[in-house]
Amino acid sequence: MISLPLSWNKVQKLALAGILPLLIWPSASLASEQVVIASTGGAYDRALKAAWFDPFTKATGIEVVTVVATNAEMRAKVAAMVKTGNVTWDLYLDGEIQAASKAHKAVTEDLTGFCKQFAGRKDLGANACAAGGALLQSTATLLAYRTGDTAKPVPQTWADMWDSKAFPGERAFPNFDDPWRVMAAALLADGVGREELFPLDVERALRKLDEIRPSVSVWWKTGDQSVQGFRNGDYSVGQIWLTRAKAMQNEGLPIGWSYKASFLVGDRIALVRGARNRENALKLMAFWLNSPEAQAKACEVLSCTPPSTEAIALMSEDVRKTMPHADEVRDYMVVPDAEWINANAAQLLQRWNEWLR
Amino acid sequence: MSGLSEVSQAVSARQPRSTVASARFYSRGVSVCLAAPLVAALVIGFVYPVTRLVALSFSGGSLEHYRRLVAEPLYLGVLASTVKVAFIVTIASLLLGFPVAYLMARLRHGVAMVVAACVFIPLWTSVLVRSYAWVVLLQRNGIVNGLLADVGITDGPLKLIYTEGAVIVAMTHVLMPFMILPIYSTLRTLPPDYIRAARNLGAGACRAFISVTLPLSLPGIFAGSVLCFVLALGFYITPALVGGPGSMLMATLIGQQTTVLLDWPFAAALSTVLLAVTLIFVFLFRKTLSLSKGLHSVH
Repeated sequence: MISLPLSWNKVQKLALAGILPLLIWPSASLASEQVVIASTGGAYDRALKAAWFDPFTKATGIEVVTVVATNAEMRAKVAAMVKTGNVTWDLYLDGEIQAASKAHKAVTEDLTGFCKQFAGRKDLGANACAAGGALLQSTATLLAYRTGDTAKPVPQTWADMWDSKAFPGERAFPNFDDPWRVMAAALLADGVGREELFPLDVERALRKLDEIRPSVSVWWKTGDQSVQGFRNGDYSVGQIWLTRAKAMQNEGLPIGWSYKASFLVGDRIALVRGARNRENALKLMAFWLNSPEAQAKACEVLSCTPPSTEAIALMSEDVRKTMPHADEVRDYMVVPDAEWINANAAQLLQRWNEWLR
Repeated sequence: MSGLSEVSQAVSARQPRSTVASARFYSRGVSVCLAAPLVAALVIGFVYPVTRLVALSFSGGSLEHYRRLVAEPLYLGVLASTVKVAFIVTIASLLLGFPVAYLMARLRHGVAMVVAACVFIPLWTSVLVRSYAWVVLLQRNGIVNGLLADVGITDGPLKLIYTEGAVIVAMTHVLMPFMILPIYSTLRTLPPDYIRAARNLGAGACRAFISVTLPLSLPGIFAGSVLCFVLALGFYITPALVGGPGSMLMATLIGQQTTVLLDWPFAAALSTVLLAVTLIFVFLFRKTLSLSKGLHSVH
């Protein structure tokens, strides 16, 4: 008789051992509590994980699963999920302005009820928790420039950016399908006051932009591109994100910026309509707003302004020095009119495309 | 001896018949079964979504989106420049690709493999990587500007990147393998005897090429041109990376509507128009090329 190396019994056992985990695994992962959040990935994601997700998991036992996508992809994907009724994300990050749009309201849950618990908090501003989402952080889009000779004056206002005699060199402006901030800068340079800025006079803005167009060497589409141009010397003055300007300064590049020419922008955490782990998602959002330590730790790395004033107090002196001061925010920073921008987004973009091409 | 010739005659007589008959070996039922998986995949993965897309563009049973598309000069203008760029890229790929394909078909096997590798390796590289390579080459302090300045042709750096020219160069580079490979496969099957016969009859090298090789390679040229043109019409990544504001293409506008404004019905209308234009051009290509004799052998 030929003896098989494995008896039939053994084979059965092995097969069972192989199949069993497969059967158990999905139910096990369902049983453990989790929450799925989409963010833009990279350094941003790492900072949020270290400061926010990991301490949250430690405190509650709820696992935080992150998904990476660009902001535009997130918006399109969430819209598709809600439309098809197959919602696999619970939370996602979106810009302050988009979070106030009709399209955003159609696919996310109104958080007015959730926000009531933060009403009495002194350290949180009135907009820290809004119907469209909880505030993650604020930052700015502003005028940044290459510093060189310390004796020379530096550009301070948008009018300076348009003044190519006093401040020679080429310019950079963003072109990432969100043209209000370029038009707004043009109007401010043309002498429009901060209070009368919105609704934007688009035609006047484009006329003013015609003046500077020949000096614009790059219309940047991604944050990386805006940084690369400063590194290469493609331009010496540009409208870019504060986070990127700070990153360049950290690299040792001679970069300065002016809050006198700046727009306040932020990111919000939004709850997808029909989220499977709704309760966990609300817990994760509340955890962020309730822990100044987490906010301080994340914003220390990302150079952002946290929603809680207590968090600002926890941050290092170095970082606080470069953050916009309260009086600068009060006197110069422009808070965009999200409602007007959203209502006119399609027209703005169409007119912008026509002008640009 | 006579037996042998009989056999060879029988073989040569049977050969063509068997190749002709091979399609008839299968009964209708088997043929349907064999084709069914592909047809199913096409219906589920292509026909259904495209139908939904077209239906979405008429959402609400109105032509509102198409009216907007025609009324605003932006959209038809961008469509025209998209077609223009696709044409230039196709012509450039043909002019640069044909000699390479010809060379590959004529070279000894070993050398031809090296040339083929030079064509294939870029094809296997991500479009993103190839496009970024052009950014590195063409930027202000890039290799091309450095070279031009060193040779003394230019005084200052030229603006090469973020222009329509950069888009055309980078797209040609990305799409060239799609032109070379179909032409190569046609030239490869072209018996050298035909050219020898032409030369024997007194044609010069040029004449033999123009009256024999070129017409017979038209099927490959057609296939390559259609591939390049259709792919170029829908290009998204490369223009976004190396193009500037002046090189706005249709795919960019569709992307804006899909992801920024979430106006999917209008995005669907733009896509439908692009699809229709693509089909019209493919049809026109066929019509033009079928006027020549070379295309009679293809279907």
